[in-house]
Order: sequence, then C-alpha cells, then structure tokens
Amino acid sequence: MLRLLKLLLPALIPSWNFFDIITPSPRVQYALLNTENETASVWYEFRPRPQHVSFPTMLGRMLWNPAWNESMYIISCAERILEQPTQHSEDEILNYIIKDLSNKPATNEQVPTDFIQFRLLVVERDGAALQQVVTFYSRIQKLAKKDKG
Amino acid sequence: MTLEYAIRLTEILMGLAYCQQSAEHLISQAYERYLFLFRLLLSLLLVIGFQSDWVSVSLLLISLAILRRFQGPYNGGADRMSILILICLCLVHFLPTQVWREVAFGYLALQLVLSYFISGWVKIINVEWRRGLALNDVFRFSAYPVSESLRSWSASPRLLLIMSWSIMLFELVFPLSLLSTASLYGALIIAATFHFANACLFGLNRFFWIWIAAYPSILWFQQRFISSLI
Repeated sequence: MLRLLKLLLPALIPSWNFFDIITPSPRVQYALLNTENETASVWYEFRPRPQHVSFPTMLGRMLWNPAWNESMYIISCAERILEQPTQHSEDEILNYIIKDLSNKPATNEQVPTDFIQFRLLVVERDGAALQQVVTFYSRIQKLAKKDKG
Repeated sequence: MTLEYAIRLTEILMGLAYCQQSAEHLISQAYERYLFLFRLLLSLLLVIGFQSDWVSVSLLLISLAILRRFQGPYNGGADRMSILILICLCLVHFLPTQVWREVAFGYLALQLVLSYFISGWVKIINVEWRRGLALNDVFRFSAYPVSESLRSWSASPRLLLIMSWSIMLFELVFPLSLLSTASLYGALIIAATFHFANACLFGLNRFFWIWIAAYPSILWFQQRFISSLI
C-alpha cells in the first residue's frame, strides 16, 4: 500500500521539470549466446530507430504509436537500472528482447541461439565530442525452446 | 463556461485519450492486454457519460494496477497528467459541496499552468538551455528523435538557439495568458501546436491528447475567477 502511494504521489503533486537537464542517454544492446558461459563478442542494437520517418507516418502515429511508446518505456527501464538496478527493470528489458526475437525470423547474421544477454551503453557529451560507456550487463537468460514443426 | 460543462468536456476528452492509450496495449502480453481492454471499455463509458462518478473511480483503481504492473509510469509525464486528471474528476464527483468541487477542479487548472511555467523556469536557470546546447543534446544523442535524419538538426545551432528561447519564453509567460479569454485561447493553440511538434519529432503522441484533455479546466478557471476580477 505504501509502495502504491509512493507511485501515486508524483501524479498528485507533479514536478513538471521536463527536460531540465539532458542526462546521459542509455542504449540497449543485446547478444546471442550458445552457452551460459560464453562471453559475448557481437552486440546488436535493440530497436534501432529508422533513418527517416515521413510526415504522413508521423501523423498516423498521433493515433497509433505502440512500438515507439514501448521503446520509450524500455528506455525508462534502462534509466531506472542506471539509477538503481532492480529485478523488475532487468526482467522487462529481457522480456521485450525475447518477444521481438520470437516475432521475427533469424537473419543470416543472427544465428539461432539458446541464451541472450543485454548491456546498457550510455551516450553522453564530453566537451564537444560524444562518448559511449558500457555501464551495465544483464544476467545471461536462457531462452525457452520453440516447438519444431 | 460552467463547471458542469467543463467537467463533462474533460470527461469526454480524457475518455478519448484513455481509449487511444489503451488501444495501443491491446497487442501486448496477456495480463497487460486484459487490463487495458477493461480500461478501454470503461473509457468508452466515460465518453458517453454513463455513471461517470463510479467509472472514474474504477479507472483510478485500474491506474493503480497499471502503476504496479510497470513499477511506475509507463509513459512518464503523460501518465502522471492522466492520473492527475482522473483524481481531480473523482474528487469533483464525490466532494460534498460546490466550493470543494471548484477547489478540486481549480487544482487541475493550477497544475496545468504550472506544467508550463515550471518547465520554462527549470530550463531558463540552466545555462545549457540559455545557450541552446541542451536542445542540441536532445537532437544529437538523446533517445527521443524518432529518426536518425532528425539528428542532423543538431548541426543547426542558430535554429536550436531560437527554438530554445521560444520554448522557454512561451512557457514562462503562459500564466499571463490568463488575463483574458482571448489571450488564453491563443496560448492554448500555441501550446497544442508545441505538443503536436513534440509528438511528430519525438513520438510523444500521448502528451498531446492528455494535455488537451486538461484545457477545459483552465478555460473554466479563467472565466470563473480571473474574468470577474478584471
């Protein structure tokens, strides 16, 4: 109950400090592994943004934008992990990666795999240049076997 | 604008915004899908005005379940404004006297004004915003731009400096728009255009619909308290 009240309070007395400071921005990258002890060498960006989005598409997204809002929620989970790692946020990101992987056929680059792991890469400005720092590695998660048929 | 009319308008706009939000979750995993399907049905009842008081309370309970599911807001500020409107609507329906109902609805109007003013204040006290660097960072490396091509805006520092100051000054002077009904309508049109631009550039579509849902409260507040003073 106390936890719920803590979640509800920022809505009742909001701070409204949108974009007050531009904090370092996390990116989620994932690796496909064959064994639980393997060290990841190839990392794929999770949900890379498209090169271009047309204005009609932007207009359509005013009413129907589930994928982008989901991606924003995943970024929120990443930011929560950077602030204070929680099982919930780690599970959420792993679940969304597994969901995406199970919804699309494996490419030539992405061979079938038994385990996955994600890491958080933080992008920030250092003077005039951008720097990227890996700040978090998730646990290695075993994937559920798909039925063959 | 009477209190009753403003409340009804808020219910319709918020109900529609909730329908839009909920529909986006109908392709989610099982538990989440049923939660939002239930919220979608209740939102439709709110739009048509069926038992608005109890429907509002039910929607608030579902919002708590959603907060618990995601361990916080799913969509940041948009979720917070959604719940704030809902709490104010619940209070308006169940508070015993007209004065207290006006206080509850006025609180929503006050928070709407603060949502612009505080946003402007926290930016203008930051030297990075005053120099246009913060907005440059938003386009250059933040997670918000919906496409890679939008990142090239960071190569136009003069444009971003003008945009930064336009945003800050508009947000800071927003409370002054309450001085007349005409200026308030003008400010709300500019504000809605600002939210529309954010929706297009950063994919923040939910902010657009839910902030508009709070506009009747400020229109009522201005006519109820400010117009009579001037």
